[in-house]
Amino acid sequence: MAILKPDYDSSPRGAADAARHREKIRDAIRANLPEIIGEEAIITREGRRLVRVPVRGLKSYHFIHSDGLEGGFGSGQGKKGSVIGQRSKEGRPGQAGDQPGIDYLDTEIELEALIQMMLQDLGLPNLKEKQARETLVPQGWKYESVEKSGIRPRLDKLRSLKEAIKRTEVLVGELVRQSGKGEEECRDALERARGSLPEALRLLREGELREGSAGEPRAAEAPPRRIFLDSPDLRFRTIQQDVETHSNAVVLAMMDVSGSMGLQQKYLARSFFFWMVSFLRTLYRQVEIRFIAHTTEARVVDEEEFFHKGESGGTYCHAAYELAARLVAAEYPTDRWNVYPFHFSDGEDWAVERTLQAVRALLDQGVAALGYGEIQSEYSSSTLLESLRSGLELELRRSEGFAWYEGRYRDIPLLGLVIRGKEDLYPALRAFLKPEKQPSGVK
Amino acid sequence: MSAAELARLARAEERILELAAGLGLSFLPQEFDVVSEQKMLEIMAYRLPVNFSHWSFGRDFEIERTRHEHGYAVPYEVVFNSDPVRAYLMESNPYPIQVLVMAHVYAHNDFMKNNRHFQHSRRDMIGLASEAASRFRQYEQDYGREQVERIIDAGFSLQWDLDPEEPMHRESERGTRERLFGWARESPPEGSFSDLLPTPAPVSTERKRELRLKTPPAPTLDLLGYIIEHSPRPLAAWEKDILGVIKSQALYFLPYRRTKIMNEGWATYWHERIMQRLFQEGFLSSEEHGFYNLYNARVKAHLPRQLNPYLLGFALFKDLKQRWDKGRHGAAYEELEEQRQREAWDLASGQGTAKLFEVRRTYMDWFFLEEFLSRELMEELELYLFLEKDQGAHYDTVVEETDWRTVKRLLVRSLMNSGVPRVRVVDGNYRDSLQLYLAHEFEGLPLQEDYCLRTLQHIHQLWKRPVLLESRQQEGERMQRKLFIADGSGVRVNLD
Repeated sequence: MAILKPDYDSSPRGAADAARHREKIRDAIRANLPEIIGEEAIITREGRRLVRVPVRGLKSYHFIHSDGLEGGFGSGQGKKGSVIGQRSKEGRPGQAGDQPGIDYLDTEIELEALIQMMLQDLGLPNLKEKQARETLVPQGWKYESVEKSGIRPRLDKLRSLKEAIKRTEVLVGELVRQSGKGEEECRDALERARGSLPEALRLLREGELREGSAGEPRAAEAPPRRIFLDSPDLRFRTIQQDVETHSNAVVLAMMDVSGSMGLQQKYLARSFFFWMVSFLRTLYRQVEIRFIAHTTEARVVDEEEFFHKGESGGTYCHAAYELAARLVAAEYPTDRWNVYPFHFSDGEDWAVERTLQAVRALLDQGVAALGYGEIQSEYSSSTLLESLRSGLELELRRSEGFAWYEGRYRDIPLLGLVIRGKEDLYPALRAFLKPEKQPSGVK
Repeated sequence: MSAAELARLARAEERILELAAGLGLSFLPQEFDVVSEQKMLEIMAYRLPVNFSHWSFGRDFEIERTRHEHGYAVPYEVVFNSDPVRAYLMESNPYPIQVLVMAHVYAHNDFMKNNRHFQHSRRDMIGLASEAASRFRQYEQDYGREQVERIIDAGFSLQWDLDPEEPMHRESERGTRERLFGWARESPPEGSFSDLLPTPAPVSTERKRELRLKTPPAPTLDLLGYIIEHSPRPLAAWEKDILGVIKSQALYFLPYRRTKIMNEGWATYWHERIMQRLFQEGFLSSEEHGFYNLYNARVKAHLPRQLNPYLLGFALFKDLKQRWDKGRHGAAYEELEEQRQREAWDLASGQGTAKLFEVRRTYMDWFFLEEFLSRELMEELELYLFLEKDQGAHYDTVVEETDWRTVKRLLVRSLMNSGVPRVRVVDGNYRDSLQLYLAHEFEGLPLQEDYCLRTLQHIHQLWKRPVLLESRQQEGERMQRKLFIADGSGVRVNLD
C-alpha cells in the first residue's frame, strides 16, 4: 500500500488527439457539404455565429444489434406512458426513416468557417471585394491641406509659428553673412529693428548698437529668443468632406406565394436566399435583403410573412418585377448599390409577355445580376423559365450533373435555374457563384 | 497536495485496509497515484495511464473534459487490474472524496483478485500499453500518421469481436484440428473410469481431408486474431502489431465489461460500510461526513435514461445479503403467492455474507441479473424500458414498459455477450479463393445494417479479398437470409 505523487509526463496528449478529432470533423463536413447546406437548423438559426451540423462518419463502427427502436433502460419514478425527457431534433435530417442519434454526431462550427469551406470547395477561395461596385459614403468633415490664405477661424497657429521661426533663422543667417558680425549681435539688431532686415542691417552698419548691450550681464537663463511673425508666415487649414468607399449590395428576394408554392418549395427558396446572402456578405461590407411576395399583386413584406404565409389566387410575375424596379429607383439607386434581384416561383405565370417586359425594364436600371429559380412541384405548369430562356437568349450549361441557363443582357449576368429538391441547392449555388457571374467591373 | 494532507490520507488508507480485511475482503498489493485533473481525464479517455494516440481517444477526452467543466463530476475513480493494483486519486478532490475513492478501490481490488473472470488478464497491461505507445509513435514516423490511423480505425471496429474464453484455454489451430479429428481420444487415458468415457466416432477419410484443409478448423469468434494470422493481404509486421495490441487491450477490458454492474455494486456496497466505520472512529469530521453523504447520494442516483451500475449493483448485493440471511430463496419461498407471506418470511439462516462472497467469485452481470434480480427489487427500483418517440420537431423519451417480466427479459438479453452480436469466421478460404466468410448467430435481434456495412469495409481493408457476412432476420413469419458483401467495388446487401 502506498500513496504516491508521481511525476507524470505532462505533455497534453489529450489536447493533441482532440485537435486531430476536430480536424476529422472538418473533413467530414467538407465531404458532406451538399447535404449539410440543406440543413434546416442552419437556415433557421437566429443570429448565432455557431451552427450545429450533423456529421457522419466519426463514430466508431462495430457489429451491433438493431432492435429497430431507439431506447434503453432507466430507473426511478416512471409511470408507463409518461414522458420523462425530450431531445431536440436540431441538426438532424428530417427525412423519414432516419434513426435518431444513430448515425450522426452533432458538432458546432462557425458559419463563417462553413462558408469559407464552401467557397474553397466551389473553387472560389478568394472572392475579391474589388470586383464589386463601390459607393462613397459621407463620414463627416476632415482637414485636408494647409494653404497660405484663408479665414481667421481656420488659422493654424502651430504651422504659422513654425514658418515664422524658419524665416527668423534665415534672416539672422543673412545678417551674419552681409554684416560680418556675430550671430548674437545680429539677433539683437534684428530684435531692435523689429524684424525688418534692411533696418537691422542699417543698425549693424552704423554701429548704433549700444556698447553696453553686448556687455550686459546676461541672466543665467537666456530670455526666449524673439520670433517675428509676419503675414507671409500665416498658414490656414482647408477642410473637405470625408468620404469612404463602401460596397453595398441588396438582394431583392421575390417569390410567388400563391397556393401552389408549398412549404417545401418555400424552404428551398429560403435556403437558397440564405446562402446567397451569406456569400454576398463575404463580398460586400453591407448586404440588405428585401422581400417581395406576389400572387397577382406584389407587396414588400417581412421575412416571416415571406416564407410562412401562403395565399391563394393566380399568378402575375410581372407585378413583382415592376415593384422591384420601383424599389430600386426609390431606395437602391444602382450607381450606389449592387442590386441582386432573384425570383423564385413554380413557373406559373398568366402574363408572360408583360413579365418579360418588366424584367427588361429592371435590367435597364443596371442591376448587378439577375436570377430566376423555378421550384418544380407536381402541380407546376412551367411557362416562365421557357419564356425567359427564349426572350433573353439564355444558353444551356451543364456541370457535374446539374443543368442551368445563363446569359448576358448588356453585360449583366443572367441565371435561370430549376430546383427540385435539397440536393439541387449546392449545384445551384455553384452556378450562381461562378466567377463570371460576378459583376464585371467597378462602376 | 501538501505533505500533511498526504500523511492524513495515508493514515486513512491504513485504517481502510484493516477494516476491509476485517470485513473479509482480500487484496492484491495496492498503490494510489495522486494526479492532476488533466491527467485523470486523460487516463479515463485513453483507458490506460499511457496509451497510444488516436482521434477517438481525443474525442473522448473532450467529452470527459466538457463533463468535468460542467460539473457533472462524480468522484472519479480509475483502477487497473494490475499487480500491484494501481488506482488514481484526482489531486483537486477534497479529503472525504479521496477517502471514499480509496475505500471503493479496495473493494474493486478484492473483486478483481477474486472474481474468476479477472483471473486470466495480463496484469502487466499498464507497462505493455506504454511500450506500445512508443512503438506506434515510431510507426507514425516510419509509415505515416494516416496509415497508422487507418489500421487503428479498422482494429477498433473489430475490438469487441473476441472469443471471451480465449484467455482461459488457448488452443492452437493444430490443437483444434486434433480435437476435431478425435485423434486425441484414439488411445484413451489410463484410469479406472476410462471405460466410461465416450468412444470417439470414427471420422471418415473424406471428413479428415476436409478438416485438414479447412481454415479455421472450427468457426471462431476471434475475428481480429484470425485476420492477423491469416489475412491474404498480407499484413505488414507493424500492422499486425497494432491489431494485436488492440486485441490484447480489448481482452484486458472484457472482464470489466462483463462485470460492470457487479464490480461497481460490490465496491459501493463495501465503501458504505467502511466509510460508516471511519466516521465513527473520527477519521472524518461530521462536516466531511456530510460532504461524503452528498457525493455518495450522487453515486447512487437514479438516472432516467440510463441504468446506473453503482445503484443497481449495490441494490442487488444488499438484497442478496438480506435474502440469504433470511432464507428467502428456494422453491418453498418462490412459490409463495401472497406479498404478506413473502415479506414475513424469515428463516434466520444467516447465510447472507457467505452468499455475497460466493457470488462475487463466480458470477458475471448476465447471470447475476438473470438469477438475482427479483420482482420485489425491480419494483423497488422502478426499472423501466424507455423509447425515444418521434414527435415531429423533437424526440420524447417515453416510458414504454414497466412490467417486471418484460423489462427483465430485455435487460438480461442486452447483457448477453456484453451486448455484442456473435459473429464467427466460418471460412477463410471461401470458394477456394481466399474470400472471408463470416456468419452472424441470430439470437433474436438482427444486425444494424449501416454499422454492419461500415464494419465490413474495415474488414475488407484488412483482408483485401472479398468479405461476406451471412445473417438472418425475422421477416414476418419466416426467417430471411441476408448476405452482406464487401469487395473492391464497395458494400452491399443481398436478400434471399
